[in-house]
Amino acid sequence: MVRFVTGALVAAALAMPAAAADVEFMSWTITEDGGKELMQEMISSYEEKTGKEVDGIGYAWKDINKNTFLRARTNTLPDVSQVQARFLPTLANISGILDLDEVFDRAMLEEKFAPGFLAFGEVDGKQVALPWVGGTIGMVANKLVLEKAGIDKVPATIEEFKADLAKIRDAIPNSVPYAMATKNNDSILLDYLIWVWTFGGDVIVDGKPAVNSPQAVEALQFMVDMMEDRDAAPEIDRPDARRLFGQEMAGFYFDAPSAKGFAANFSGQGDAYAVNLAPMATPVLNDGDTPQSIQWGHVLVMYGDDNKSADSDAADFLMHILSDEELVKLAAAKGVLPSTKSGQAAEPIASDAYLAAWAAGAPAPKRNTIASLSNGAEVSTIIGEEVQAALLGQKSAQEAADAMQKRIEDAID
Amino acid sequence: MTSLDTAPPAAGPRAGRPFPISPHARRGGLKGGEGRFGMLLLLPALLAFCVVVLFPFLEALGLSMFKYSIEMTGPRFIGLDNFVRVLSDPSIRQSFIATIIYVAGATALSIALGLAWAIILHHPFPGRDFLRGASLLPWVMPAVVAAFLWGWIFNSRYGLLNAAAFELGLIDYPQAWLSDPFGAMSAVIITKVWLSVPLFMAFFLAGLANLDRDQLDAARVDGAGNMAILRDHVIPHLKPVLLVTIVLGMIGNLQHFDTIYALTGGGPVRATTVLSIEVYRRAFEQWDIGLAACVGVVWVALIMPPAFFYLRQMMRGTD
Repeated sequence: MVRFVTGALVAAALAMPAAAADVEFMSWTITEDGGKELMQEMISSYEEKTGKEVDGIGYAWKDINKNTFLRARTNTLPDVSQVQARFLPTLANISGILDLDEVFDRAMLEEKFAPGFLAFGEVDGKQVALPWVGGTIGMVANKLVLEKAGIDKVPATIEEFKADLAKIRDAIPNSVPYAMATKNNDSILLDYLIWVWTFGGDVIVDGKPAVNSPQAVEALQFMVDMMEDRDAAPEIDRPDARRLFGQEMAGFYFDAPSAKGFAANFSGQGDAYAVNLAPMATPVLNDGDTPQSIQWGHVLVMYGDDNKSADSDAADFLMHILSDEELVKLAAAKGVLPSTKSGQAAEPIASDAYLAAWAAGAPAPKRNTIASLSNGAEVSTIIGEEVQAALLGQKSAQEAADAMQKRIEDAID
Repeated sequence: MTSLDTAPPAAGPRAGRPFPISPHARRGGLKGGEGRFGMLLLLPALLAFCVVVLFPFLEALGLSMFKYSIEMTGPRFIGLDNFVRVLSDPSIRQSFIATIIYVAGATALSIALGLAWAIILHHPFPGRDFLRGASLLPWVMPAVVAAFLWGWIFNSRYGLLNAAAFELGLIDYPQAWLSDPFGAMSAVIITKVWLSVPLFMAFFLAGLANLDRDQLDAARVDGAGNMAILRDHVIPHLKPVLLVTIVLGMIGNLQHFDTIYALTGGGPVRATTVLSIEVYRRAFEQWDIGLAACVGVVWVALIMPPAFFYLRQMMRGTD
């Protein structure tokens, strides 16, 4: 009998749900090498300071939107969540997302964040997120790979770029001189956008698709030529590019400033490897053109009417991770820019040569115009599929561009 | 006084019955009681079916008539528009074609190789028991692990296949097998066949266990060769097993998702986007829940005929 009662009590204890944490924080950085420990420290320091409990919920980067959507459907959204800035327009109407102007004092926000950063979190004039870290997606070169190929300076023009790619291809067998994204639709979109801008085109002009303009077709043909010349390779997604770059099998690729952290991991040499990274301006078509890059950033959103006050635990935690102490540590480790004025002025950031070089290489970053469309995910898929069809030789650049134009017209009709 | 061996006089509704019915008797008699008890036993399973299968299906059926995407605050009724789109959208039509190729290829190859392997393992030879056990390993392995295993075999840069081809001098530059529509479809079919062969082999081995050896010996005496024995004796004997495995294989392959997604993600372009991948991509990459539900409903409709056939076979078997 005693055994039965004990068993029943144990079963009941196991069946009882764990007490809910004071704040639920959903993030993909928690799951990443190099980010896990930093995020855990950030959470622990808050718990120690306030006595509150924070539940850090981790999902892989590519799964976070899906889980946000599923949680919204089941009313289990977290209190605070990390979001990629370019996906914000897609998530802005999700049920339960808070207008942070109703939570925080607008003047305080404008005082706290660096100029331009606060706009990262705005959708249709509503402040649905606060900026966390930011920067641009631009080109980065591996100095060691360039050295092996006998290249002494980073290329400034498309012509120099092509010549350097050929040198790397010939000098390093089995290498991917430019680790262009050729696999994942979301990744392909970023490379494609930058090259279309570089060739003087745009994907959306006056609200209408313009992907079969002569400039856009020329850009796509340029990408196809790189594949045919074996300057780029199939089956490459951003994580593959990062690995190849860190292992000195790729000379160039597009990434956010956090490339530094990935190179540190994949090289096996840690932070010491950062000196081999050369943030650079994207090669231009003609001397004097503006190098192209894309605005990039991580933002933080809050969900739930219970959190609609600056005194709520969620708002308090949000301000904790945006404090200089936490933000500067994260930004310095990941090689990204903190979103706050005081964070950017802090010594480890202001004196970071890598970040300064990155900023110099991207003087005029543009917004990802596709991501800001309400059905941006569908349009991204269309662009990714058609670009991939051209890169893999299933369609000519012109055929792919025409098909892309027609499909995007139908999608945004 | 009433004689003990004489039935009491019949009256009212009991007229014509030889014995009086006890007022405590079960309504509907013993059979009715059994029926109600049977229903009671069925109730938990029925409840689980309603909660886990029927309700989600009905919800999906309902959602298929709505426009519902992540940027909308709520679903909007659009009638049969999603169904019209499913039938007219060339990219979705391509998913149906990819599904047919995948299901036909994976089912046919799994059955052919499963049968061949079962016939080999049916004959006694040293180490047969070990080989039988070892043959089940792919079936035990989680599908995603198998997908990564084959992913590395087909990988263009570090893959075993390319390394072997290099060594043999067949190629001088890495081949991107998974970036070619034919190569990618072959890869996902090979992976699924590798996973399915052990199970089908087990089915066929069980069927072969009661094959009459005397009949085979008599056929050999009459001069029948291996192919004739296979065609005229083994396959007719295995016909019921064959039917069940074909139907089960088709259902399983129509539903299959994990290895395809892990291996190719539905690419290159849309070459391996079968219906399961199409639903996932529409729902969780493009956030078009209404259209995803609609593709799902059509997908279920496709699974229904083989499922019905399978159930009918099973019911016949229990009669």
